[in-house]
Amino acid sequence: MIRLSSSQRSGLVGAALLALVLVAIGLLTAYFGSRYQVRLVYSAYVNLIVVLGLQVFMGNARITNLSHSAFMGIGAYAAALCVTPENIKKISLPDAPWGLAQFSLDPVVSALIAVVITAVLALLLGMLIVRLTSIGATIVTLAILVIIHAIFLYRTDIFKGNQAFFGIPQVFNLTSVIAIAILVVIVCRLFRESRWGIQLRASADDEVGAAAMGVQIYRLRLIAWVLGAVILAVAGICYAYFLGTISARPFYFNHVFLTLAMLILGGMRTVTGAVLGTFLISFGLEGVRYLETGPVFLGIDLPEALGLSGIALGAVIVLTMALRPTGIMGNREIETLFVRQRH
Amino acid sequence: MLTIQDLHVFHGPIEAVHGISLEVEQGKCISLLGPNGAGKTSTISAITGIARSTGLVRFEGRDLSRDSVEARIAAGIAVSPEGRRIFSNLTVLENLTLGAALQKDAAEKAKDTDHWFSLFPILAERRDQSAGTLSGGEQQMLAIARALMARPKILLLDEPSLGLAPKIVRQIFDLIADLKTRGMTILLVEQNATQALKLADYAYLMSSGRIVAHGTADDLGKSDKLMAELTGVA
Repeated sequence: MIRLSSSQRSGLVGAALLALVLVAIGLLTAYFGSRYQVRLVYSAYVNLIVVLGLQVFMGNARITNLSHSAFMGIGAYAAALCVTPENIKKISLPDAPWGLAQFSLDPVVSALIAVVITAVLALLLGMLIVRLTSIGATIVTLAILVIIHAIFLYRTDIFKGNQAFFGIPQVFNLTSVIAIAILVVIVCRLFRESRWGIQLRASADDEVGAAAMGVQIYRLRLIAWVLGAVILAVAGICYAYFLGTISARPFYFNHVFLTLAMLILGGMRTVTGAVLGTFLISFGLEGVRYLETGPVFLGIDLPEALGLSGIALGAVIVLTMALRPTGIMGNREIETLFVRQRH
Repeated sequence: MLTIQDLHVFHGPIEAVHGISLEVEQGKCISLLGPNGAGKTSTISAITGIARSTGLVRFEGRDLSRDSVEARIAAGIAVSPEGRRIFSNLTVLENLTLGAALQKDAAEKAKDTDHWFSLFPILAERRDQSAGTLSGGEQQMLAIARALMARPKILLLDEPSLGLAPKIVRQIFDLIADLKTRGMTILLVEQNATQALKLADYAYLMSSGRIVAHGTADDLGKSDKLMAELTGVA
């Protein structure tokens, strides 16, 4: 039996409050939403898991990570390669090496293999990253993103590049992704409030001061990095198991930028911030996309404005950084909003 | 209890302390005085294991000079560092918890936090507040309480009066005096020699990386040489 500290217990209260929000949005969509809206909300939940995976490392160690979409891609492709039926793989991947087209596994086993592969890869790369200074680490994560994307793109015999990798069984629905998202919220809160989480956040505040307290910074960064990668792999698996088709493009710059904006807007230091930012941007972007088409709005015929969503995302990052660099939530988690703070 | 012999401390290629020796006996308050840049903080960093050093650091008969920071904390050495180094984005409670970085038992840790909160009511009142919102004096109290969370046998206090108003400085020194009467062994680094000598049983005076004088507080208090060193007037 694991004993929880008092901070972890209040973390669970916060996680429960967030879970209520997640269940409410999810169930409303599942019962009343159109097919399009279900897809939209599903992808918002997948992005939520990505943003949470990003928060674990970036929010606690406060080192900007730009490779997260690549780790999501590794999880998605690894699971897809394992789970897709042999007869489909023989058609779609006729030149696959190492007998990759000669087997297919059960979805749960495939997901586990995908998580382990992502974790091992993250561990190896992480051992390099955690020793670097903040800027150095960020540049390396950018390089990782580019390298992994290049592999997805040019090893077409395995990943099919920009063409669709199809035939992945659709094992997940909206309910499954809600359940997984809630589980990930709980894991992130428990980690943040754990001894490790507090020590890691302290080292982000003052590296030398934390070292003087006996905090083993590199080890803690590595733990957060690998945990983050595991969550990102789970996000990738959710993505593949719902859509049934993946390609290299969704795991690149646009997605990195989108999820980064979500975390920055909500506030990277808290799990609540990650959830808030994801929903604000997911639903906000739908509004912007509507405006892009040049609709008739309140009797006014608006012009077409293609590219507006890209501008809006950039504006969100710029404005948040300028006006409230710690994001909407700052250092506050959801449960502290109900307690009056003295100043 | 703590013996230092021929300690040289290095910051990169620069040698900041040139072979000093000092002794801290159990239950005593020993003060390390000297002007800015004398090498006091470097000495503290060498004792805690943060700075690279050669020479002997013996604690309770055991040579710690090759040990890691964690091992030295586990042996019973805790520090309230220069400039307090409070983690301003963490709450007061989280800051305290960090002092017990090596304590894995959550129940024991909760017992200790309750104990120190009862002795520092002002910190208890602000336990869920960001530590950055505390006043300078409160931050210093937090830094001391955080060090005490490690259940140390010796407490190293590096310039606890730095940047505080005279009234607050007296409060902090009262607190240190109180810890001393409770039997805590203290190594107190200070520029504020008058206040430090009131508390200390024995003092060492450092200048330019060397110990230039040492003796009981009474002896040193009367010394003109000390005043000259501290004020920089020859």
